[in-house]
Amino acid sequence: MSGGNPWLYRGVQVLFVAALLGLWYYVSANGIVSPILLPSMTASFAEFGHLLSTGSYWPDLDVTLYEFVCAFLLAASAGCSLGYIVSRSGFSIRVFDPLFAGLYSIPAILLFPLYVLFFGLGAGSKIAIGTTIAFFPIVLNTIAGFAYVEKAYITAARSMGASELQMFWSVMLPAAFPVVLTGLRIGFIVAFLSILGSETIASLAGLGHRIVTYAESMDPAKMFAYIFFAIIIAFLLNGGVSTLEKRVRRWQA
Amino acid sequence: MSARIAEGAVRRPAAAVRMSPGVARLLIIAGLIIFWEVSVRLWGDPLFLAPPSQVVVSLYEFIWNPQVLNALRTTLYELVVAFALAVAIGLPLGLILGLQRFAYGSFYPIVLLLYATPQATILPLVILAFGIGTESKIAFGFTHSIFPIVVNVVAGVQGLKPSLIVAARSMGANRRQILTNVVIPHMIPSFFTGMRIGMTGDLLGVLLAELYVSQAGVGHYTRLFTESFEPQRLFALIACLAAIAVFLNESCRRAERRMSRWHD
Amino acid sequence: MSIGELSKSGRHPPDARGSAAITVTGVSQVYGAEGDPRRVVALDRASLEVARGELLCLIGPSGCGKSTLLNVIGGLASPSEGEVTIDGEKVAAPLPKKVAYVFQESALFPWRTVIDNVKLGMAFQGVARGERDSRAHEALVAVGLAEFADHYPGQLSGGMKQRAQLARALGLKTDILLMDEPFASLDEQTRMVLGEDLSELLARTGKTIVFVTHSLIEAVFLADRVAVFSARPGRIKEVIAVEEGHPRSRSFMTSDKLGRLRNRLYELLHDEIRKTMGERAP
Repeated sequence: MSGGNPWLYRGVQVLFVAALLGLWYYVSANGIVSPILLPSMTASFAEFGHLLSTGSYWPDLDVTLYEFVCAFLLAASAGCSLGYIVSRSGFSIRVFDPLFAGLYSIPAILLFPLYVLFFGLGAGSKIAIGTTIAFFPIVLNTIAGFAYVEKAYITAARSMGASELQMFWSVMLPAAFPVVLTGLRIGFIVAFLSILGSETIASLAGLGHRIVTYAESMDPAKMFAYIFFAIIIAFLLNGGVSTLEKRVRRWQA
Repeated sequence: MSARIAEGAVRRPAAAVRMSPGVARLLIIAGLIIFWEVSVRLWGDPLFLAPPSQVVVSLYEFIWNPQVLNALRTTLYELVVAFALAVAIGLPLGLILGLQRFAYGSFYPIVLLLYATPQATILPLVILAFGIGTESKIAFGFTHSIFPIVVNVVAGVQGLKPSLIVAARSMGANRRQILTNVVIPHMIPSFFTGMRIGMTGDLLGVLLAELYVSQAGVGHYTRLFTESFEPQRLFALIACLAAIAVFLNESCRRAERRMSRWHD
Repeated sequence: MSIGELSKSGRHPPDARGSAAITVTGVSQVYGAEGDPRRVVALDRASLEVARGELLCLIGPSGCGKSTLLNVIGGLASPSEGEVTIDGEKVAAPLPKKVAYVFQESALFPWRTVIDNVKLGMAFQGVARGERDSRAHEALVAVGLAEFADHYPGQLSGGMKQRAQLARALGLKTDILLMDEPFASLDEQTRMVLGEDLSELLARTGKTIVFVTHSLIEAVFLADRVAVFSARPGRIKEVIAVEEGHPRSRSFMTSDKLGRLRNRLYELLHDEIRKTMGERAP
């Protein structure tokens, strides 16, 4: 929808956020909502500032990031290699693509209790669930990327005498790259979210777990502080990978 | 398209493959199940792993277990209610945001911002707010499914080609008629897409909440079976939930396909 | 022969005594087995000879097999029956050192600049790294795209993209050029201009060209001979000689001779086109 005054909209948004903050302050200051559920605004911001300045988030952030990076790397290597192998023949695509797509439709978080049973409450179960969930968008996109390379490119390269290796490096890989990259971006984001979520459910450490401890110990201000922090980390990672994707796309024209 | 793939991707001569892909898939799945059965019996620790035969037995036992059945029924209830709420609120909200320029410019960015926040972080908060019963699960499922619905309805409304409205107006349609006869039918496929994605979100939200804390729902039993090291019952419960998930997802997918037939 | 070397006096119509560069003998292309209801005979025993230095046009209704024949000639497809020989050797696979293609849709790689596209073609063919730069520049100058060497295909217009494809083909320095409706996706005005440029360029280089087109005027304007195809199953109905020197001038475009030849083509093709359309009616 075009038209309209962007400054007006921005103004309304700022007012809206301000009104929410004001409401929060008012509600918590007058005890309308239980302080266990909604801590005072000032206390929450104070805790958040304290959290940032002391860097006490590091141990938990460390654990979460470690689990996340392991999960993503595992999912990416498995997904890309398997995806490429499947894309090599029309038959294997017809066999495996619906299989993966079907499995993707089952909420993989269901496997988490199994992983907890098997790997315990440590990093292992989180890495396992992160890998499982991130694997599917990556493998499906890799298959699609390599399978649907514009036929004209392949025919042209064949007519010019390209060898199999040249065909792969100079034609298939760059042609498939944008789609594969999208899959990697989705996998990246989904891996992080699923690790946060699984840390909340069953863990001994990590950002998600920290939020739970403060919820259970009735320390809502600290809980809010960690929630803000986790959201910011998520946005930074999101933004980072989106920017990276856009920059790479620009080179690809 | 398949000829294009085969010719393009592979240069070796096509083998005379006479097996249908569906049969190949079944064989692979069957092979995996057999492998699962054999390897667990030979090498698996019964505390952590259960062979499929035992899982099937547990599944059968569930039929006579009213508590587990009740838990499954409750979860289904939570899923349906959360989804219904998301549709009931999401559809009108999406229409308003899509059609009203001021609402779109001011509030849609806020909606998108909320959509992008990782809801896993607020799970403990939602539980604190709504308690450990079904309400919190419904709430969490609701927040996960409303956003895709709103976003897709807005996209469906926005995607309307202006030439269609011009054509309708030239035939003398008034605003209400344009709304009911042009805008809404045009938005339906996107709406169903939103519902399909919303259903995935609903499943995620409700299951996350259940796994986090649950009194008598499925989450309670997953915890129970995990802590008492009963993998066959855990597997069986997960299989039931997976079946429910597949059923709901597939229904949404079919509805979406049927409603999108006129679309390119 | 390098692009700059040849005299500008133009070419005469090819020598009737000249050896054939390409010989097509009884080529058929059939999809599906005998008795299969979906069996399609795309090409039915096509035979012709293309003389060295000649520009032969293949024209016909959709589905008549002209592109199929082109692919068989170039070794991109194998025929169900018959054979093709180039310089006496039977064709069984692509011959990158003898045959270069220009395709209909842009088969330029969008992730590489124009000059990199030209160089990549040479890399596939097996040209030494050192030579590629100079040959690429020559080719781009020949098609008039020298200033756009570092642009990406996405930044070029349709006509420029096809020039770039032509540059890539020229860079391969093959004797034979196969062009599959290269101007089909362009508007008529661009086609006319590119047609003139192509005629001028090819007069200078003396390549043997087989050119597939739908356009009657394009066929008469560019070709030494035009092979007219029937509707499916595609058979060569007639071969018409144009007998006009290269490069073709603007005055040829407006001449009576072109008009007469075009009308002849129209007569030959009209019924075949109707037959093709009738096939599609419910």
